[in-house]
Amino acid sequence: MKPILEIESLKKYYGKSKNQTKALDGITFQVMPGEFLGIMGSSGSGKSTLLNCIAAVIQPSSGTISMDGRQIQALKGAALADYRGKEIGYLFQNFELLDNLTGRENILLPLSLHGVPEQESKKRLEQLASYLEVKDVLGKFPAQMSGGQKQRIAAARALILNPGIILADEPTGALDSKNAKSLMEKLLGLNQNANATILMVTHDSNAASYCRRILFIQDGAIFHELRRNVPEESQQEFYARILKVMAQLGGGSANVL
Amino acid sequence: MFFKLVSRNSKRDRKENGLFFGSLLVSIVAFYIILSLSRQDVMVFLSKMESDAVDKLLAMIPAFYGMALLILFFLVYYASKFQLERRRHEFGVYLMMGMRRGRLFVMLLLEDFRNSVLSLLIGLPTAVLLSELISLVTARLVGLGIVGHKISFSLEGVLWTAAGFLLIKLIAFLILSGKISRQEIGSLLTETPEGVKKQMHPLVYAASMSAGIACLAAAYAMAIRGDAWADLKTMGIALILGFLGTSLLFWGLRFPIGLAVRLGKGGRLHVFNFRQIQETVIRRSGTLAICSLLILAALCCFGAGVAISQFYGSAGQHVLDYTFEGKEDTEPSQQIYAESGDAEPGQQEFGENENAEPGQQEFGENENAEPGQQEFGENENAEPSQQEFGENENIAAIRKTLAEYNLEGHFSHLFEMKVGHINTTDDMEHAFQMEPVMSALQELEPSKGRDVLLNNLSYTTYPYVVSLGSYNQLMDAAGLEKLELGESEAAVYMDSEYASFGGGKELLDIILGAAPKAWLDGKELSLTGEVQTTDLVTDRSITLSFALILPDELFAYYTRGDYTGYLNGVLEKSASGDASLMSAISDMNQKLDETGLAYESYLQNMGRKLFYMVASSYITMYLAIIFLIVANTMVGVQFLISQQKSSRRYRALIHLGAAYRALCKSARKQINWYFGIPAAVAMFSSLFGIRALFTGILPSSAKTDLPRMMAVSAAMVFALCIAEYIYIAAVKRSSDHYLLGLMVPEREE
Repeated sequence: MKPILEIESLKKYYGKSKNQTKALDGITFQVMPGEFLGIMGSSGSGKSTLLNCIAAVIQPSSGTISMDGRQIQALKGAALADYRGKEIGYLFQNFELLDNLTGRENILLPLSLHGVPEQESKKRLEQLASYLEVKDVLGKFPAQMSGGQKQRIAAARALILNPGIILADEPTGALDSKNAKSLMEKLLGLNQNANATILMVTHDSNAASYCRRILFIQDGAIFHELRRNVPEESQQEFYARILKVMAQLGGGSANVL
Repeated sequence: MFFKLVSRNSKRDRKENGLFFGSLLVSIVAFYIILSLSRQDVMVFLSKMESDAVDKLLAMIPAFYGMALLILFFLVYYASKFQLERRRHEFGVYLMMGMRRGRLFVMLLLEDFRNSVLSLLIGLPTAVLLSELISLVTARLVGLGIVGHKISFSLEGVLWTAAGFLLIKLIAFLILSGKISRQEIGSLLTETPEGVKKQMHPLVYAASMSAGIACLAAAYAMAIRGDAWADLKTMGIALILGFLGTSLLFWGLRFPIGLAVRLGKGGRLHVFNFRQIQETVIRRSGTLAICSLLILAALCCFGAGVAISQFYGSAGQHVLDYTFEGKEDTEPSQQIYAESGDAEPGQQEFGENENAEPGQQEFGENENAEPGQQEFGENENAEPSQQEFGENENIAAIRKTLAEYNLEGHFSHLFEMKVGHINTTDDMEHAFQMEPVMSALQELEPSKGRDVLLNNLSYTTYPYVVSLGSYNQLMDAAGLEKLELGESEAAVYMDSEYASFGGGKELLDIILGAAPKAWLDGKELSLTGEVQTTDLVTDRSITLSFALILPDELFAYYTRGDYTGYLNGVLEKSASGDASLMSAISDMNQKLDETGLAYESYLQNMGRKLFYMVASSYITMYLAIIFLIVANTMVGVQFLISQQKSSRRYRALIHLGAAYRALCKSARKQINWYFGIPAAVAMFSSLFGIRALFTGILPSSAKTDLPRMMAVSAAMVFALCIAEYIYIAAVKRSSDHYLLGLMVPEREE
């Protein structure tokens, strides 16, 4: 099986030589189709920079990112916009719903951005809305929705164009535990039933425990990798392992000298 | 450090908000130009001729200045608000770092002051130059010539401009900074999207919109029919209806926009665009309505002002430079003309004609005519003695005086114009009859021109008569073909203004082509040739609505040698060759004043005409420009504020895969709509507004020319549209620039 996403010695440096910040310092990994990959790390470890590089919002300093065998640095103009809109679905921590658009209009926004006729996606909208349980709020404005509803609308928006990969940036960051749990279950369901590929950046060990594999990043480099042994290992046990690594990352022996 | 921060910040403000800075410069220029009006060549010239009217106009300048201050205050207020809003976060950071509110206030005050002073440093020289340029151009346009140009720099104007400008800046700043400094640090630090306002049922908006349209339709109808000018009350009702209608219309606009959101399938980001437009229109319907009304005011001022000034500017041809009155008293006065010279700016001379058709008012029957129109009559009654001896002696005396002062040589033409009454009969009711002409007129196709002519000619039972010999001398001076009349022939003379009314001259020319018969005191005459319209004397306010030009023998017979003589003069071209005509006449006037002769020069007429032209065009254009700038700045700044408030939305769009171009296109579309809606409403209303101004302000004689004047207005309105377009383009550039900044992702941790 070919990987859907290949990252090869990716580097992103900010600033000039003397006070240079190495946000990403030679990261290499692959994402297989249908994988649910988590990326964890402390604040400033380079998680968001990595996600932004993959989303082609920022240009890396060196290294390559290939999506389905195509190098995305080579993309320009319309092809780039198309890539951002159609091949990746982006889920934000703060939902980033447009508050002057109704739920339905928010979900359909990517169609209008990429000139896709609405008719084609009508059925998909119905499916997504009922799966994500947001049918009741399609006609409402974001201000009239709960946090969970907002994030599920945002998820529908990320999925409407059937992207190759979903990039989720702290999707549970702004949700209470109940809503966070329900969102993660929905994402997991998508991953298991619809074979959706998900790349999720998170702080939250709880949310991370839904993943199949987790990369830990520190100071711009991969520091550790965890794989959940399915089906032997339960989510609970995996969660415990994640916590252990997190403890090392935050205040492990390496940092305390 | 503190002052470095101040200077850096103010520099950044100018760079980031060029639109506002530009508006400030324009407002400075506007202040100075109105304040230095009295120093303009045209005004200096006019104040010699029409001092009272000019004084009245200049007395109004403080009022204009005050009004300009008030309007520009709103401009400064809005633009500063925009400037401060975008720096909220920065202020929050200053306060967080422990800057005291007082110090923040002083810092902002210094920044503001720095920018104000810089605006003045750039704006004032620009204003002085521009005012100079306007002075030169207007002087050239009206034929004053630039030889006598005086520098129009006015220190007083500069000081008042600076004072006024700094005052409104300070007031706006105090209000705004007061608002900002009262806010909590937390709310300064976080960007607060305005959120979605509660919406009512769409039918409410639809109803509001229909009510608005109904109000506007009623106001338009009142304006067009001229009812609005009937009295203050109806005028007030029309204005209130217009204002209310516009407000309701804008409030109700969310209904069609909402509909457009739902129905529209076209274009990328269609829904987003219309939701954005809807949001801004919902939130700012009041300001948008006011902006629309301001644009309307600008369009009306500009369109009507230019057309009206054109009307005054185009009146009459110029042949004669001087007319000397056959008077022997040496009072250095112009008694007769003084009255018309002092006329109100509101056209006393023509004023009375507005309601009555241009008829026989001036001469003959009417005892209750206005003083300004009694010249001929007065001469007769006031100085009967002259008529008994015949004017020739008088004219000879004038010639002699001119010769004594060595002034004769300055004139290329100096001839007597003889005008008199029929003295062979006392029967004023039947002295003249022209049945064939009247019946020929009756047979013509009915038209307004024909009816007016019929009405006017029915009063011509006792016309003035003009001697052919003297008229031909006039034709000679004008470079026109001489008139030839047979023994019992007469030509018709009408003043150009009456003749041109409704195409009357053309109608009459057709009839005169058949040489119809007429009877003067029982004797048969045939009327021939075309209607003559060349002015008989210099003074444009002396007009004959109908007279007969008779061969000299007949003239002598009918007047029995008792007529009024006017000595007309045309200046030698070499005298006015190098200097402009205006200054040549001015010089000559000085010399003539020494002789004590009573005279009327072309200058006075020119002055009167100029005054109307200058007063109407200057003031209307000035107001139009101010209105337009304020309205556009308000709309533009509002758009940019709301764009910044929705920066998160744009960021989300970028993440969803919107390319920079697509975003710019979307924002540009929003700008088109946002500017377009108030401008379109204003433009539609201006059609009626300008028409109403014509109905209400123009004298009736100008109304025949309505289509042409409407065309002039349309051209002006089109010119304004170009200005509007430039403004929109500037806002678009600013928006593109802002969006480019958004394309770089921000760290949100």
